[in-house]
Amino acid sequence: MALLKSFILRNVFLTTHRAIVSTIRPSSNAPLVEDDDAPVDIENPFKKEKVQCILCKLNIVPDYKNYRLLSQFQSPYTGRIYGRHITGLCKTKQTLVEAEIRKAQNCGYMPYYYKDKTFLKDPKLFDPENPIRSHRF
Amino acid sequence: MPAYELALLLRAMPKGELKKTLTRISHAIFNRGGIIRNIENLGFRAMPYKTSSHGLVHREANYYVFKIDTATQSVADLKEEYSRDVDIIRQRVFKMNENMQSSPCTLAEELLPPAYREEVQKMVEVGKTQVNRFTYKFKYNSGLDYYPFQK
Ligand SMILES: [Zn+2]
Repeated sequence: MALLKSFILRNVFLTTHRAIVSTIRPSSNAPLVEDDDAPVDIENPFKKEKVQCILCKLNIVPDYKNYRLLSQFQSPYTGRIYGRHITGLCKTKQTLVEAEIRKAQNCGYMPYYYKDKTFLKDPKLFDPENPIRSHRF
Repeated sequence: MPAYELALLLRAMPKGELKKTLTRISHAIFNRGGIIRNIENLGFRAMPYKTSSHGLVHREANYYVFKIDTATQSVADLKEEYSRDVDIIRQRVFKMNENMQSSPCTLAEELLPPAYREEVQKMVEVGKTQVNRFTYKFKYNSGLDYYPFQK
């Protein structure tokens, strides 16, 4: 009997507690207490910087008269234009570079089958041995 | 009048003659109602490949770039006149694009794994609409009373 009584008592207590909580909840929501220690909304500090190709980063528009720059995208062995997977340029810049190289070669500014020997020691913009995507050569 | 760029290779010649040639070239432009904005001298140097023009082989050239404004119809005329000029080894005309709107770099999207690239997703979508030739099997209940392919 005592057990049953205590059980009922506890049950009553539980339900009353729940009722109290339910009554408290909406009132506690309205006035928000200013807390210095509360988490603040900031931008993700671990977000990586957006990668850009070298021509976009330095804001360079390739031009056929600037054949020294264009010759850096040319193979020193065969004079062929390196692909996008080697140069690391974005699509638009790569097509621009290719078009300007064709123009420069056609105008007689740049050779077709080799790289100008005075430009052979120019700094390398990329490493043809380590392409971004593998190729079959 | 649209803007053009005139890339000229002039043969090796003394300074006085070069001056005369340049004036001749510019007068041809002026006579057709054109304007010269700028003349760039890129110097005298060896050409990357030998070029023969007007019965002579040239290995060096004076490099000049004219920036001109002229009517579109007169460009063909100019080209024809310059092609008859024995002092001009090679001439190319390019249209200048002044309003080059610089689009943002798309390298970051291009370096994503294939499944996240937009063009690959489009390709997959197209592929879903096609018949897979590797797994497709001819159905004999197609209504034909003969097998249409070679066995
Ligand atoms: Zn770019």
